[in-house]
Amino acid sequence: MNAIVVLILGLIVAFIGYRIYAKYVDTNIIQADPKRATPAKMYMDGVEFMPTSRNILYGYQFKSIAGAGPIIGPIIAIQWGWLPAVLWILLGTFFIGWVHDYASAMIAIRNDGASFGGLSHRLISPRARVILLSFIYFYLLLIAGAFGNVVVSTAIGLKASPMAWLFLTVGGVLAGQMIYKWKQDIVLTTVVTVILALLGIVVGTWVPSNSVLGDALANNRWLWAITGFVFCYFASVLPIWRFALPINYVASYIVFLGLLFGMIGVVILRPDFTLPAYTSFSIGIGPLWPIMFVTIACGAISGWHSIVSSSGTARQLESEVDARPVGAGVMFLEMMLALFALIIAGTIYASAPEYSAAVAKGPGGVFAAGVGKFLNALGLPLAYGRTYGSVMMIFLAVTIMQLVVRFMRVATSELLSDVSPVFKNVHVGTIVASILGIILVMTGWWQYLWVLFGGANQLMASLALLLITAWLISEGRSSAWAFYPMIFMFVTTVAALLYTSYNLLVNKVLAGKVTGEALVGNTLMGIVALFLVVAAFILAWEGFKAFQRYRSVGGQTAASKA
Amino acid sequence: MSEEKKRKGGIFQSVKEFVYGVAAHDSARFALKTRASMEHLFILITMGDMLGVPILPPYYSLRLLPYVVPQISTWKRRMLREKDLTDALA
Repeated sequence: MNAIVVLILGLIVAFIGYRIYAKYVDTNIIQADPKRATPAKMYMDGVEFMPTSRNILYGYQFKSIAGAGPIIGPIIAIQWGWLPAVLWILLGTFFIGWVHDYASAMIAIRNDGASFGGLSHRLISPRARVILLSFIYFYLLLIAGAFGNVVVSTAIGLKASPMAWLFLTVGGVLAGQMIYKWKQDIVLTTVVTVILALLGIVVGTWVPSNSVLGDALANNRWLWAITGFVFCYFASVLPIWRFALPINYVASYIVFLGLLFGMIGVVILRPDFTLPAYTSFSIGIGPLWPIMFVTIACGAISGWHSIVSSSGTARQLESEVDARPVGAGVMFLEMMLALFALIIAGTIYASAPEYSAAVAKGPGGVFAAGVGKFLNALGLPLAYGRTYGSVMMIFLAVTIMQLVVRFMRVATSELLSDVSPVFKNVHVGTIVASILGIILVMTGWWQYLWVLFGGANQLMASLALLLITAWLISEGRSSAWAFYPMIFMFVTTVAALLYTSYNLLVNKVLAGKVTGEALVGNTLMGIVALFLVVAAFILAWEGFKAFQRYRSVGGQTAASKA
Repeated sequence: MSEEKKRKGGIFQSVKEFVYGVAAHDSARFALKTRASMEHLFILITMGDMLGVPILPPYYSLRLLPYVVPQISTWKRRMLREKDLTDALA
């Protein structure tokens, strides 16, 4: 099948989903009212609560949710064939993805901009908040591990990428200095630093890492894992304007220009899928159900979006009716991004063995090869295009990683400062988070790590849907559109996590098939997966009790009655 | 004609805002958050009495009060609002 057909199918699903289904829910069930004051207006503080144009929020939401997730998931999942992946991306987004993102924003808007911890306390139970926040900590640890692995495999697989990474980092730091210290014009700053980042792509292609460091060092996983987390360390401990934000600013131009021109390249080349539509129900990393449904996370549904929608976007929406274009609309845009990644993986290789050999080295190489091919259609030489793709992949991953490490530093301080005051120190908190991340990166097989991250991510989504369902029942509104997706996601993700932890702990660790680093990694991943499952069951039980309470009071008013 | 011109300007404006949202909105928010945290810490030190935290002798608080008045309601809301770890993420 031709890739353009898939893109057209995506547009049709987006059109029907956004214009009909989402509009119906928004108008008839949620009853979004443009006259009702949003938290951004009621509690405006000029900082977190600030009415903002929906166009700006559209960009903000897209930038916040579209990391490496919607790209890597489809690249891995095509091992089951491209057809199941296309179906899951389209149907998952249509029935679950936008529901989750949109409703996460609406529940926060209607509850004074409360975050998920407060909402779970209010709508479910006090215990639910503690469990949810512990769950989020381990979920973020898995994000750091999975994305860290992507950075390492890309830096090793594409030797041009480290130099481009270095140039972009220098460009970002320079941007921070120019904007905040030298008070330079933003346009001049942007032009200078983006050109510097582009120059890094050229220099990286000419001077690959092995020509500078030697083959042994350039292929050393420890070196790139530590480099990745040192990058996150600086992002965590330095003032945010000096390092993290300006680097993200420059990287956003590189990433989104690459995506835009890559999409244009797909339209110009109109490639056919060369990989099989369907391979087998069961492959190396597990069966199609449930594993594929967690492998493709962000392109279909992702728990990360609920955090962004509730704690970030909902506090800035100036009107309730903006929640549909921002919450639901951006999810459909991300669906198109996932389809783009799927087209890359499904069309650039001549045969399945060629794809398998490429993906075994890491998803970054597959993505970079695809970006190179489609940018080549616009005239950019293949080698530069591949370097461009590799630095895109690295920055899509480290942007999320640095945020996660920063967050884990705060969480470590909160959780452990009572044990010893030393954990209040920002350096200690960051180092603890980084060491945990490095252990996962160095000891876990990346495909298992990705599945576990996807499982935790989807489980987070099902817990968000649980919260949304509890809220809908408490308000006496129709809840089936959130309840059934929640049940599907809960069963699927718990099954995926149990399957993976069983594989890791019983088939590998207890069977004595792994030793050394792999033993540590498999044990750690298996235990984290079990913890997530137990936490999810406790939350589900608490949620079930909350449903019962709301039903017993007739579902007329909010949590206070229950 | 003018309607069409307005619409074109509208589309251009929308694209401009989208690009701002992707590239810079987060930076602006974090810069504001950093400034607000510093200011609110200062107000807590000087005006803590208003939240039941006696810190400075009232004389100094009263001297500073006129400068702080515009921010008092915002400050109280931010200080007393329930927060959790997810606030650090978005």
